[in-house]
Amino acid sequence: MLLEGRVAVVTGASRGIGAAIARAFAAEGATLLLCARSEGVEEVARELGSAERPARALRGDVSDPGFARQLISSAKKEYGGLDVLVNNAGILRQGLIGMTSAEQMRELLDVNVLALMTLTQYATRVMNPARSPSVVNLASIAGTQGMEGVTAYSASKAAVVGYTLSSAKELAPKGIRVNAIAPGFIDTDMVRGVSSDWYERRMQSIRMGRIGTPEDVAGVAVFLASDLSRYVTGQVIGVDGSMMS
Amino acid sequence: MTDDKLRECFSRSLGIPVERVTDDLAYNTIKEWDSVGHMALVAELESEFDVMFDTDDILGMSTVAKAREILARYGASFDAA
Repeated sequence: MLLEGRVAVVTGASRGIGAAIARAFAAEGATLLLCARSEGVEEVARELGSAERPARALRGDVSDPGFARQLISSAKKEYGGLDVLVNNAGILRQGLIGMTSAEQMRELLDVNVLALMTLTQYATRVMNPARSPSVVNLASIAGTQGMEGVTAYSASKAAVVGYTLSSAKELAPKGIRVNAIAPGFIDTDMVRGVSSDWYERRMQSIRMGRIGTPEDVAGVAVFLASDLSRYVTGQVIGVDGSMMS
Repeated sequence: MTDDKLRECFSRSLGIPVERVTDDLAYNTIKEWDSVGHMALVAELESEFDVMFDTDDILGMSTVAKAREILARYGASFDAA
């Protein structure tokens, strides 16, 4: 198995892409510490955990720096360290440029960017270079190509790309790889929450003719977390079925 | 109480003789204690004292005395094992 004996933290793991990544990691033998705000994360942990391959859930908000510290500290105390961090937790807010409130902009940056940076700070301090550690960040096609109607979200995801590229350079000498996945239009509660008109236009822009699944993204996360990608760092991999943003 | 354990951490992580580790030794005043040395020091202290610092504490750890004060807040014991 590709992740046998590896300890992984997955944020935003109660549903959607985060839950799919947790399931894929468990299938590859990873020990899991999952987090999310909602109680659904406890169900996911119960579903995936076993005596040989524990899966634990910690409920909390990753944009609270105290919780971020508690999460990484728990991985260290309970599992003796951390090998993989998947920064998946994120929020989407639609709004035209002139219709996006300062509060929405701050919320997007707090959750999608600052929380990811804080978690990376803590996680990379407890990662052991000898265990081939990896950080996987969830960006978005909106952050790499731009997308109208979600400018603040796009800005937050572009920040994820910049942070990924820079931290990969800084952490490479320590043996820590940092990569990002830029999903296109993926079938999750997040995109089902957008307006029907916007949804239809996005669907029509996918050359492969179908919406992506959380499992499509999870497969790439397994690749980036495992030694299959042991010489890959500072990359942003699109998972979008050739979508025109 | 001695703080041999603390001084040894500084000595090991920064690669300097333990005699040079005095209370007033300060960040960025010797070439060994630069930002890279600081991160090595933080890793050493976290491992030795089994703590995880807040980022603000890492930034505030400007002298040996300050490091002792911060570690005390985390309930660390400084006696050599």
